[in-house]
Amino acid sequence: MAGVSDVREIIAGDGETGVEITRNVRRWVDEQVIPNATELEHSGEFPARIHADMCEMGIFGITFPESHGGLGLSFETYSAVIEEISRGWMGLAGIINTNVIDGWIIDEHGTQEQKDRFLPGLATGEKQGCFTITEPNAGSDAQAIRTTASRDADDYILNGNKLFVTNGDRGDVYLAMTKTDPSAQPRHRGISAFLVEKDTPGFSVARTIDKLGYKGPETAELFLEDARVPADNLLGGSEGRGFQQMISGLEIGRINVASRATGVAQAAFDAAIVYAQQRETMGQQIAQHQAIQLKLAEMATKIRAARLLTRDAARKKDSGQRSDLDVGMAKLFATEVALECSLESMRVHGGVGYTKELPVERFYRDAPLMAVAEGTNEIQRIVIARRLLELYKVE
Amino acid sequence: MDVIVCVKQIPDPETPAAAFKVDEAAMQVLPAQGISPVISPFDAQAVEAALRIKDASGDGCVNIISLGPDSARDAIKHSLAMGADEGYHLKDDAFEGGDAWTTALALSKAIQHLGVPDVLIFGRQAADWDQGTVGSIVAELLDLPSATVLRAVELNGDRITVSRVVADGFENIELPTPCVLTISNEFGDPRYPQLRQIMQAARKQVTEFTAADLGLDPSEVGAAGARVQMHALYQPTSDVEVEIIEGDTPEEKAAGLVNALREAKIL
Repeated sequence: MAGVSDVREIIAGDGETGVEITRNVRRWVDEQVIPNATELEHSGEFPARIHADMCEMGIFGITFPESHGGLGLSFETYSAVIEEISRGWMGLAGIINTNVIDGWIIDEHGTQEQKDRFLPGLATGEKQGCFTITEPNAGSDAQAIRTTASRDADDYILNGNKLFVTNGDRGDVYLAMTKTDPSAQPRHRGISAFLVEKDTPGFSVARTIDKLGYKGPETAELFLEDARVPADNLLGGSEGRGFQQMISGLEIGRINVASRATGVAQAAFDAAIVYAQQRETMGQQIAQHQAIQLKLAEMATKIRAARLLTRDAARKKDSGQRSDLDVGMAKLFATEVALECSLESMRVHGGVGYTKELPVERFYRDAPLMAVAEGTNEIQRIVIARRLLELYKVE
Repeated sequence: MDVIVCVKQIPDPETPAAAFKVDEAAMQVLPAQGISPVISPFDAQAVEAALRIKDASGDGCVNIISLGPDSARDAIKHSLAMGADEGYHLKDDAFEGGDAWTTALALSKAIQHLGVPDVLIFGRQAADWDQGTVGSIVAELLDLPSATVLRAVELNGDRITVSRVVADGFENIELPTPCVLTISNEFGDPRYPQLRQIMQAARKQVTEFTAADLGLDPSEVGAAGARVQMHALYQPTSDVEVEIIEGDTPEEKAAGLVNALREAKIL
């Protein structure tokens, strides 16, 4: 949309490359995603052609190291790209997210052999990565997981089930959090992460779960029944480090979610400001009514703030500094803005915004996912507050 | 097979009409706020045609030339990101204010400077001024055969078979090389650059040529050498008035319509 592109293009990290990549992805989103998104989303089909385009362009590999088939670019550029893609269809960002999280965790914590084996396929998108912590009795309290892994000669035997696994039905490799020592205290010392491959005996997809929105990537429940995983697939080769390894990936996921929230909010705003100049009531465009102007101003201001907060968090991550606070704030703020803007856009549209004729109802169904996924915003506030209390501790 | 493609950076043709403004006094188009210029879509298709020729022939280079201010560099970079090999930017204050003739003259000098390739490709017209003459003038200046407004291009040994879009259908002809081709929108969509190629293009050096580098005197190019003189530049306005023909029955309405058309001297 005219007038805001200059702000969208504030990407310092990779110079000209980041800006050019963002512009090209934007054009692809305008030409290939937006015209098809609503129909594909309503059908519930997996967007195979769009997925093939994303692989072909190399979108999955933006942040992967160049040594393993990636572009080695910044999370700042990644954030701008995810925003553009989500402006077209938020679900697509979910297909990318788990590859990028897995890739980052494997690159950071995996053995050389694991990097060589898993990173190239995840970087091209040819292999679908999944990231599984959640279980029926463990969500925000991740250390409460019950899936166990016990050593048996050169293998580990995994038992348990994993819930809400994004891309779970099409996964090739599942980064799974398990307990190798269920009685360990503190609990996280007993947690280990495994790279579970889809053809593992004893591994199965139990079902896919229907959702309000967030179509595109399917959400699955997995069973691990005496699943035999080679010890070589224990992430980093040592037990007891799985909690830190997995949690470190959440920041990557939250940069993705904050970016996609900004994209959905932008799409909702774009639709609203165009419609407000087309629809007339009482002899003038509704955009001339102060009630509508207040909404447009609020939306645009908050979207700009969400974008700047998100890029800033990504830059912090790129700098290698601890960034949980920054990323958490961006995720919290941007996802609340997406919720608010999707509803406000619907109000600007009036009745037609509630119909399936326009994409606003899709934004409205997609927005809540981001406030509850990758850590609910309630947990997010607690995480932010705990960190603030550490930083501002009064002796 | 070696190919040179000449491309132009233009105001985005998708710019909403409301954002399009001209300065009538200066006779210039004002850049729309916040909307980046783009490679002319026909030129992106010309690059696509060149890349397909290179792929089909199995060897050779696709090189890009663009004449224009700093922003022309982006059209070159876009072409490089699509897969072209080298970029050349004709950049000189002396080039400013030129017309199709001075552009074609400078391009033809640059092409001679680099060596005339097997195929020279242009978009059928730049999507800003829509004159569609530069390709043909370059062909004339270089004394090369040309085929314009093409929807298909195929390699046929060392000859080129093309299909032209003409008023009542298509015209298929064969050309020897070297030759000049201009590509129409019927050719098909240009490829999306891969992100890796965008990254490599960003790092690639673009060679710049001034008028003097090409042996051109400032009096021959730009406004000084232009053969077209602009007398006015303005946005046409169209005032549409709607008149509803009233009537109780379809017959009455039809009679009213006939009367109105007669009054307007349309019937």
